Amino acid sequence: MAAPLTSRCALLGATLRQLSIGGTPFLGARGIHSTAVCYKNRAARIRVGKGDRPLTYEQALHPHQIGHRKGWLSAHSSNLHEEEGAADRTLEDVFIRRFIFGTFHGCLADELVIKRRGNIIYICALMVQKLPPQKFYFLLGYTETLLSHFYKCPVKMDIQTLDQRAVYKYV
Amino acid sequence: MAASCMRATVLSFGRSNGQCLGNNARSLLGIRAGYSTALSINNGKGFPDRGGRMPRRAKRESGEPRSEKMAENQDWTAVYPAAAVFKPSAVPLPVRMGYPVKRGVPPQKNGNLELMKIPNFLHLTPAAIKKHCEALKPFCTDWPSGLDSDAACEKHFPIKVESKEFVSAGTSLRNPKARVVTLTVKLSSLNLDEHARKKMIKLVRDRYCKETDTLTIHTDCCPLRQQNYDYAMYLLTVLYHESWKTEGWEAEKTREDMEEYHWEGSVSQRNALDTLLRMRVASEEEEDPGAVREELLGQPAVQEYKDSVTRLKNEGETEDAMLQYRQAVKKLLNI
Repeated sequence: MAAPLTSRCALLGATLRQLSIGGTPFLGARGIHSTAVCYKNRAARIRVGKGDRPLTYEQALHPHQIGHRKGWLSAHSSNLHEEEGAADRTLEDVFIRRFIFGTFHGCLADELVIKRRGNIIYICALMVQKLPPQKFYFLLGYTETLLSHFYKCPVKMDIQTLDQRAVYKYV
Repeated sequence: MAASCMRATVLSFGRSNGQCLGNNARSLLGIRAGYSTALSINNGKGFPDRGGRMPRRAKRESGEPRSEKMAENQDWTAVYPAAAVFKPSAVPLPVRMGYPVKRGVPPQKNGNLELMKIPNFLHLTPAAIKKHCEALKPFCTDWPSGLDSDAACEKHFPIKVESKEFVSAGTSLRNPKARVVTLTVKLSSLNLDEHARKKMIKLVRDRYCKETDTLTIHTDCCPLRQQNYDYAMYLLTVLYHESWKTEGWEAEKTREDMEEYHWEGSVSQRNALDTLLRMRVASEEEEDPGAVREELLGQPAVQEYKDSVTRLKNEGETEDAMLQYRQAVKKLLNI
C-alpha cells in the first residue's frame, strides 16, 4: 500500500464528514471505523449458557458492579483528584498482566491484583497448583528480578495457590 | 495435550479396524488418555506425560494451613509485621466476602480475590502500634517549656512558612506542587510606624488581610522549594525596608489616596462651618473670621458631629453609627 491504512481511513472519514456538513441537514457526520467491533455493553460479560461453565466471582459479576459488589483490581494514588501519572500506571498494569499471564501460563486462577505502596509494585496472584513448588519459586524470582529491572522500582509478588479454581456459580 | 494423545490412539485403532472414527464417536466412547497407557505413546525419550491425568510422580499434598497451628496467645505482630496482602492460611478468622449467590452465602476466604483486593490493617493492631511508639521514643525530644501557649509561639516565632510534601504511588518521587511556599506574618509584630504601615499595606495590596492583620506572601515561581523560600524572605525584607523610606513623590498624596477618612479639611467640615456661620446672629460681622472658625470648631457639638461623620465614613453604615450621626446633627442644628 502506498499510504498506511489509518491515514487513508482518516482521509476518507474527513471527506465524508465534509460531504455531510455541506449537504443534508439530518445526517450526522459519518466516519469510518477502522477497529473491530467492541460494544461497551458486551465488555467483560460472560453470557448465560447451558449451566456447565464454572465462573469465578470476578467473571460472574459484570463491570457495572465495580464499586458496588466488586472491588478494583489495581490500586494506586494516580486516579485521585489532581494526581499525575494515571496513564503511566495503567500501561504498567497492562504490561504486568500480560507478562504474568504468559509466564505462569495456565496457572492463573483469577485476575491479578496489583497494588502500589510508594514505589513498590505488589503483584498478588491466585494460582492453581499446576506446577511443583520449585518451579513456582523459580518463576516468582524470575518475574520479580526482570520486572524490577524493567521498571526501575522494587516489584514484589505474592502467590496463593489453590487446588482448583474457586467456583462462584455455573452459567 | 490430551487431545493429541487421543488422536494418536484412535488412529491406531482405526488403522487396525480399517475405519476412521470421527469427533463425536471419540467423545461418545469416552476415550481418555488414561486408557492410552496400554498402547504407550511415549517414544521412550523420557518426556513427562503431558496429559497429566496419571502423573508419574504423585502430586505433593499441601500441608494444613498455618491458621490451624496458631496458639491463641501468639504474637500477632510476628504474623503480620508489615503491610501485606490478606493470606487466608495465615489469618485464623472465618471471614466471608462477596455478594452471595441466590439462596447462598458469601464466598469463603480461600481463593477470595475480593479479600485480596482491599487494603487490610492486620499489621496495625494496638499491640503493633505500641511497639512502633516504643521504637520511636528514643528519637523524640520534649516540647520546649517556654513555648507553652499560642501567644508565646507568636511572640518568638512571628513568621510562619508553610509548604507541602506529596507522597504518591508511582515510579517518580517528584511532584511540581511541592515547590509552593506560603509565608504569613502579622504586621503588628514588625517594627513599623504609621507611615511605614500604611505604605506597606499599599505596596502589598490584597496580600494583606485587615481582619487578621496578616501579610501573606505566596511564592511558586521558582522551580525549587528552597529558591521559593529564599525569594519569599527576600520579598519580606525589601517590603520592610521600602516602607520605611519616604520617597519624594509621596508628598503628592491626595485625599483620594488616603486610607482613612479625616474630617479636617473635608467637604463635610466646610459645609458644617458654613451652616453654623449662617446660623449665628448676623450682628458680629467685624470679628476675625479665623477666630470665629476656631471658636466654632471648638464647640462640643461640632466635635460630636466630627466623630460621628468619621465613624460613618470609616466603619460603614451600621445602626449605631447612624443613630450617633442623627444625635450629633440634631445637637448641631439645635433641633
